[in-house]
Amino acid sequence: MTSIGVLQIAIFLGLILVCAKPLGGYMARVFEGQRTFMHPVLRWLEVLTYKLIGVKEEVEQRWTQYTAALLSFSIFGFLLTYLLQRAQGFLPLNPQNFNAGNVSPDLAFNTATSFVTNTNWQAYSGEATMSYFVQMAALAVQNFASAAAGMAIAVALIRGFARQEKKTIGNFWVDVTRATVYVLLPISIIGGLLYVSQGAVQNFKPYTEVTTVEGAKQVIAQGPVASQEVIKQLGTNGGGFFNANSAHPFENPTPLSNLLAMFLIFVIPGALTYTFGKMVGDTRQGWAIFAAFSVMFLIGVFVCYHFEQAGNPIIGNLGVQTAATSGQSGGNMEGKETRFGIANSALFATVTTDASCGAVNSMHDSYTPIGGLVPMFNIMTGEVIFGGVGAGLYGILLYCILAVFIAGLMVGRTPEYLGKKIEQKEVKMAMLAVIATAFSILVFSALSSVMTFPEKGYWNPQGAATANMNNSGPHGLSEILYAYVSGTGNNGSAFAGITVNTPWYDLTIGLAMWIGRFLFLIPLLAAAGSLAMKKKIPSTAGTFPTHGPLFVGLLVGTVIIVGALTFFPALSLGPIVEHYVMQTGKLF
Amino acid sequence: MWEQILPGLRIKIVMTVLLGVIYPLAMTGISQVIFPKQANGSLIKAGDKVIGSELIGQTFSKPEYFHGRPSSAGGGYDATASSGSNLGPTSAKLIHGTTKMDDKKNEVVDFDGISVRIVHYCLDNDIAYESSVPLDQFKDAKGDLDDVKLIKAFNDDKKPLVFTPKASIPADAITASASGLDPHISPDSARAQIARVAKARGSQADQVNQLVAQFTEGPDLGLLGEARVNVLKLNLALDQQFPVKK
Repeated sequence: MTSIGVLQIAIFLGLILVCAKPLGGYMARVFEGQRTFMHPVLRWLEVLTYKLIGVKEEVEQRWTQYTAALLSFSIFGFLLTYLLQRAQGFLPLNPQNFNAGNVSPDLAFNTATSFVTNTNWQAYSGEATMSYFVQMAALAVQNFASAAAGMAIAVALIRGFARQEKKTIGNFWVDVTRATVYVLLPISIIGGLLYVSQGAVQNFKPYTEVTTVEGAKQVIAQGPVASQEVIKQLGTNGGGFFNANSAHPFENPTPLSNLLAMFLIFVIPGALTYTFGKMVGDTRQGWAIFAAFSVMFLIGVFVCYHFEQAGNPIIGNLGVQTAATSGQSGGNMEGKETRFGIANSALFATVTTDASCGAVNSMHDSYTPIGGLVPMFNIMTGEVIFGGVGAGLYGILLYCILAVFIAGLMVGRTPEYLGKKIEQKEVKMAMLAVIATAFSILVFSALSSVMTFPEKGYWNPQGAATANMNNSGPHGLSEILYAYVSGTGNNGSAFAGITVNTPWYDLTIGLAMWIGRFLFLIPLLAAAGSLAMKKKIPSTAGTFPTHGPLFVGLLVGTVIIVGALTFFPALSLGPIVEHYVMQTGKLF
Repeated sequence: MWEQILPGLRIKIVMTVLLGVIYPLAMTGISQVIFPKQANGSLIKAGDKVIGSELIGQTFSKPEYFHGRPSSAGGGYDATASSGSNLGPTSAKLIHGTTKMDDKKNEVVDFDGISVRIVHYCLDNDIAYESSVPLDQFKDAKGDLDDVKLIKAFNDDKKPLVFTPKASIPADAITASASGLDPHISPDSARAQIARVAKARGSQADQVNQLVAQFTEGPDLGLLGEARVNVLKLNLALDQQFPVKK
């Protein structure tokens, strides 16, 4: 590790810390319906939206109605995204003449699911599959929509803790509209223009034909990239315009745009901790969560950075420089860009998987075993290290419930969190969410590891499903495991060597995304509903404080232990065994 | 029931119009006015012909040009097929390469592998090396190195070829980038190529060295990212200042 690399990591986290209070306070006002400095500019758009969709701003919903609204929002999002992809041949802004032949029904299902669940897993290569119109009107719109839905649910859960003896938890349509109009859209406009200033493209031109200096033909893909790139990061979506995602120079042209990207990914999740503290009336509670986030983030980033900088001893033994010098970055440069080097690649990989983003500026498949274990483990925790917009906060609140429950068991008291008794129903709902996601990851990975397909089958080419892997040995298992981890965790990054655009993988990874999103969300909304109805009990000398270092430690421990115990066996067969095998120089 | 469901359809339509059509159109309009060069791909023109983009790497293989990094995008620097190799650290294919049979049943290179790239990097740039078997054994009838023979020798289970350079090779020079379109190389990788480029152009090494120094960009704001050299821009400047004598 170099000192300038460490300094860049510190500056990045510092920026997120500095923005947490102003943005978090602003969002608290937005979601509570109070006036902000943006109201004179944007209030008309909010009111117009309510009029167009036929919703009354002041009417609130019970948790069941809130859930029904979320499902309706997701299903129509899914249907339209599916249809637009299949109909792209008949739609405008399609200079490369892509049509339904480029997007098979199973791929369209997988992609629509992916962009509805905030996963943005991509079984396709953007520049060779999707028209400009589909990218902007189907995919980019879902980038806004799924992010707004995530924020809405986080706010509904906060209301569950903040309110007492109330049957309602807010109005889904109002929360989604406010998230979009006051938070996502204004930041996207500014951020998008910053992207263009750095060199991200924003046009509708056909691909540019070039005669290179040595006289070869080169065709350069174009498109309305910057406007989608910014919401891809801000909404922790991660679905790239191009196949190479944020490694592509038109998506992420400079180290400065790279810092912007990582900032956009973490800024809302970081600020929502303050929003939480503000709305429950005790900002220390929010800062405690921010501290837990930061501890887990720093552990991950330094482990990843260390192993990527140490590099691959097999390549080092061939006579390749692995130490960083002033003239080159050393380390494991396979699948990394020169302008980002090791530090900014490892930092980006950690950030994108701490959050449910999944954009990549380097290829995780080519990481060293432990360097690649970090992103995988980050997603396995349920992405509760800052996490996705909204998703990170509601995920960590679930772990808060578990943490106070475990603490309560140890001392034999009924657990409380923020003055609410945590009882059977809340703990059951939290456990349901944890078990559903673990089940999805492990069962689908196991199935794909043993499945074989007969000749002339529809689902996958003949033979074992493991034949779709790009690497053999333990690294191959990591590829399959990462695919279902990423799908279930709604992350979207990949060990991208594996061929996943077959009906078998499209369908099972698609199902993993539905399970990971909705079997996580619905139990949480149910818990929010039951919490909102409870009375707050005053804290006494016997109340376990949930804002001090002891609670932060307990929370971090709970996250790591739940993740480690659930997935350790699978991880030891993949990345951990590969790490030791790599030291011996064995190849597969 | 319908009062929870219908807004879902309506809001989807509203969002598609506002965020899927108006927003990107407005962003394109503004970008085309204030950042026309960047918004259109930072293209470089010679006269009215487009010869590339500052941000997208190109294949360079002639000795008089600086070479970019190995690329896994299509057949190499294919800007409609951005991609990394996605090969893991214990992949034999990544380290030693693979061969395949082409349509005419000739054995050809499938993937060149890091070992083979190191051999070429040493030979191209006159870097001293030790080899367990003299490289002459892998030459074809014309006297050029045959990569198929090299790959087979590296993959030989019993007595694999061992090739050791006497100076360390910059990590970026023999590894493929994430996008396959990386426009940059490290300053070390550029410096290692100076002698070859100067010789091929019949110019002085220190003149080329000065040009490399001039085209070495430091980290952004003196802090962010890595020092780097834009290969296309450097090569264009070379052609201008030290044209190849024909």
